[in-house]
Amino acid sequence: MKDANAVFEPKIIGFLCNWCSYAGADKAGTAQSPYPPNVNVIRVMCSGRVDPQFVLKAFEQGADGVLILACHPGDCHYKEGNYRAVQRHRLLLRMLESYGIEKERCRFDFVSAGEGEKFVSIITEMVAAVRALGPLNVTA
Amino acid sequence: MKTAVYFCKCGTNISQKIDSEKVREGLTKQYPDLSFKTIDFICSEEGKEALEKDLREGGIERVVVSACSPREHEATFMRVLSKAGLNPYLMQMVNLREQIAWVTADPLRATDKALRYIRSAVGRVQLHDPLEKKEIEICPDVLVIGAGPAGLKTALAIAGAGRKVVLVEKSPVIGGMPVRYEELFPSMECGPCMLEPVMGDILHGEYADNIELLTLAEVTEVVGSYGNFVAKIRQRPRYVDTHTCIGCAECIEPCPVSAKNSFNYGLSDRRAISFPFAGALPNAPFIDDRLCIAKQGGECSKCREACPVEGAIMFDETEKVLERTIGAIIVAVGSDLYDCRRLPNLGYGSIGDVYTSNEFERIMASNGPTDGEIRTKSGNTPSSIAIVHCVGSLDPNHKEYCSGVCCKYAFKFNHIIEKKLPGTKIYHFYKELSVPGKEDFSLYTHARSNPNTTFIRYDNIRDLSVTGGEAGSMIGYPGLHGKPASVRADMLVLCPAVVPAEESGALGKVLDTVQDRFGFFEELHGRLDSAQSKIKGIFLAGTCQSPMDIQKAMSQGMAAAGHILSGLVTGRKLEIQPVNASVDSERCSGCRICISVCPYKAISFDPEKMVAGVNEVLCQGCGTCVAACPSSAISGNHFTNAEILAEIQEVLK
Repeated sequence: MKDANAVFEPKIIGFLCNWCSYAGADKAGTAQSPYPPNVNVIRVMCSGRVDPQFVLKAFEQGADGVLILACHPGDCHYKEGNYRAVQRHRLLLRMLESYGIEKERCRFDFVSAGEGEKFVSIITEMVAAVRALGPLNVTA
Repeated sequence: MKTAVYFCKCGTNISQKIDSEKVREGLTKQYPDLSFKTIDFICSEEGKEALEKDLREGGIERVVVSACSPREHEATFMRVLSKAGLNPYLMQMVNLREQIAWVTADPLRATDKALRYIRSAVGRVQLHDPLEKKEIEICPDVLVIGAGPAGLKTALAIAGAGRKVVLVEKSPVIGGMPVRYEELFPSMECGPCMLEPVMGDILHGEYADNIELLTLAEVTEVVGSYGNFVAKIRQRPRYVDTHTCIGCAECIEPCPVSAKNSFNYGLSDRRAISFPFAGALPNAPFIDDRLCIAKQGGECSKCREACPVEGAIMFDETEKVLERTIGAIIVAVGSDLYDCRRLPNLGYGSIGDVYTSNEFERIMASNGPTDGEIRTKSGNTPSSIAIVHCVGSLDPNHKEYCSGVCCKYAFKFNHIIEKKLPGTKIYHFYKELSVPGKEDFSLYTHARSNPNTTFIRYDNIRDLSVTGGEAGSMIGYPGLHGKPASVRADMLVLCPAVVPAEESGALGKVLDTVQDRFGFFEELHGRLDSAQSKIKGIFLAGTCQSPMDIQKAMSQGMAAAGHILSGLVTGRKLEIQPVNASVDSERCSGCRICISVCPYKAISFDPEKMVAGVNEVLCQGCGTCVAACPSSAISGNHFTNAEILAEIQEVLK
């Protein structure tokens, strides 16, 4: 496993809202479309539940990237929780920047319950992007 | 804490990718006391029985079901836990099938991921609280605001189910707008004839005793929430007792005061005591106290002297403020028409014979200002009438939407004009035509085949110009290749956009509902839940929600009634889901950020204790407030910070 030539396999935490993006991930499953297994999904009822401290904690605990997926604008099961998530993500990126964490390591996107393919491509892109950045080294 | 992990093989769906033995080894290394069992199909009857049996015997305190998506079977296994005598919230599901086995190419990596997921679930489930559903007593009675078609239909449906209904109507008359229309599209049914049986049932039908009709009334305050609202209703005096009045109209002729009749848009006069129009229900006149000599401090009692029923006219009646407890509220306050004065080029309000569609409806009505005769203000029979569609509709400078009813009634007008005044020239000026529906094309086809009808399409309503003259109006418009053209018309009928009723905003504030960008009451979901507002327990019916025709308003009224009859059941308590938020008042700083982010207005502020509190009936458990609270004073049940952080920590190990 400790092969020097081994590709870097990033650890990524994915926060998925129950109603759209988690369902979108299930849809990708039903379609049996393979994607890299690097994203570890944490299900929340709404993307509005994603507390910025969860993201910081994930990075602190060794995540190389964090993905937040929400319902499309206007489709939020809880009406507007996804808008809150967008706002928080924007602020969070500024904060991460000050820690020296590249914004590509914390991606926000919209995935509907029907968008299995989009889910697969987001995961694939995210894994490739974080792999290209290499492991996260944050010095406290 | 004794934890059991159940690994469903799902036939080969999971087991061909994920090696359960490797998972067992990995898990028991970290948790030696863990019980780990594989089951072939845990969702099958045998699988559920095996799970239940195991839970009954094993002294198990926490459960992890590693199987398919929780979106598929979380509720199934929660029920098994309940049956086995375990709190259903002491379980965590791991989505091995949809999110690992089916989507991971390499079995080694799939197994590794499964191990991390299950480990994470084991870590999380230790922190789960045994949550309990709460139950509250409810009041099954219902408040319906607005006695138009939608409100009447809803009130009847609910009263028919044996519930009490408080039906509040701001005007002295019920039936809404269509009761004022002589004929209705698409089948030219008589408006009052269609609605009278419905209104008759409301007033005197089998279930009328269940309906408290309050005319001239408005809802001024509402407190509480779904299941238990208290509404304050202000009822202005009618000065006529609807119960004793026999509707003979003897009182009207002697009244010496005359004023414009607003029910006929000022096109006719009425007395200080009058019926809004002939046949108006309830069948009793009302006194307009701004006009009545006696109410203005003068000496007059001519109406009372003429009244054959003692006590029917009550000058001393005063305004009442009533309080009613109800479990649900239906808003059915209807809509208005766009103010045509905002399009001054069409001459409304400045040129004589320019009418709105509602005014024209009254002109055509046999109980209207001209007894149904179409004639100009100077009393002449028109030889040409222009009907302008899309007035203020489909126009970014006015209203962007299409109201969907205007073309239909415009072609109804064409039909009635042709019937009443054969040979009259009719011009339809339109931007777009819209006549969907299985019956609604017939009036359009009829108008198209009328040889006296001309269709003129315009691009922008600003390009139309109406000028008044002795012999009718001239309507200028860009003709072929933009060449100025014009037609002469004795009457102009404008079909304005349907807009929210004037009082919608104020009522929205009283009810704390959300208005959409146009000012209509916003529905919970445009397709799934258009009869529910965004506030639980407040329902919407008819054009207060969106422009619509009578058919849809009636259906929406029934939909709202259905929601209430199934959700708010007499004798059954209201169940409150425990996955919601709660505030630790010790930690709350009173900043009120949570209130601003709650999409359900479920959080209120206690000004005495200076802390926020969550209404469990309204809270839907999204957790937005939990993430927003700067003091970490709010916790989200079943998705607590500790639970989520444990999940993150374990999955990254």
